[in-house]
Amino acid sequence: MLAPLVETVRESVRYKGKEGHWSWVLHRISGLGLVFFLVLHIFGMSMSAFNPPLHEAMLEVYKTPLFSLGELALAFSLVFHAINGTRIAILELRPELWNQQQKATRLSIIITLAISLPMIAVMAYKSITHFATHGF
Amino acid sequence: MSTSSSTLAAGRTVRHVKPLPKGNGSFERAAWVFMRFSGLALLFLALFHFVMQHIFIGTHNLVVTDTMRRWGVQGQAISIDQVAWRLYYLVTLLLAMLHGMNGVRQVAYDYIHARPIYTALMTVVAIVVGVVTVLGTLALLIGAAAVPGAA
Repeated sequence: MLAPLVETVRESVRYKGKEGHWSWVLHRISGLGLVFFLVLHIFGMSMSAFNPPLHEAMLEVYKTPLFSLGELALAFSLVFHAINGTRIAILELRPELWNQQQKATRLSIIITLAISLPMIAVMAYKSITHFATHGF
Repeated sequence: MSTSSSTLAAGRTVRHVKPLPKGNGSFERAAWVFMRFSGLALLFLALFHFVMQHIFIGTHNLVVTDTMRRWGVQGQAISIDQVAWRLYYLVTLLLAMLHGMNGVRQVAYDYIHARPIYTALMTVVAIVVGVVTVLGTLALLIGAAAVPGAA
């Protein structure tokens, strides 16, 4: 049961596909992370209709230090998945550009950082000032 | 298990994996098209939602009354902007859940080669995602519950 997982991780590290390989790995990991949070988030929000105290409790969970860190990863995952997904969708339909894949992948990483780093900075600032004034 | 192993001269073990039976071609094509269009829509829907909640409002400012104000409360008259918010969340919710579940399916298909385990896992994923999607959809249809003491 675990052997395929171990092999997958080992071969993913061993394979030297550079940007294309790592953006493919990151696209999958970020996607799985987004689905995991999405299920948790929709459950929590739906409780505003069925169980308001539980809804409020889940909003409070978002304000804990663990989720404040997770929020930063969530921002990067969302932006990367969106920008990298756009690159995939565009280039799949343009075979004449396939010799530009590496350039396109680097561009999508640059755009991801340009969008997500300011967002991460703002959220980190908000969390730090919150925990500094309200405690943990 | 549709997996067997052999040993190369160098001593490395290589697994020979028989692929899972081919899926229905037209379903896979529809799924491929759906991933493109839902992805394009979510690029705007999800990013707008994230920037609004995390950058402009801020996670530490989230309160129950925000949900009640934006969705409207059960048993009370609903305004046109509350209808618009609910439609926006409903479209985003359904697209994101289907997009996410198909993504999980593709990853699981690539790594889990034993058919019974793949089927069992995807059944669990479909049930969890399905139940949460139904809960979220129902919540958006009926609105937030009235909280005593909250405006």
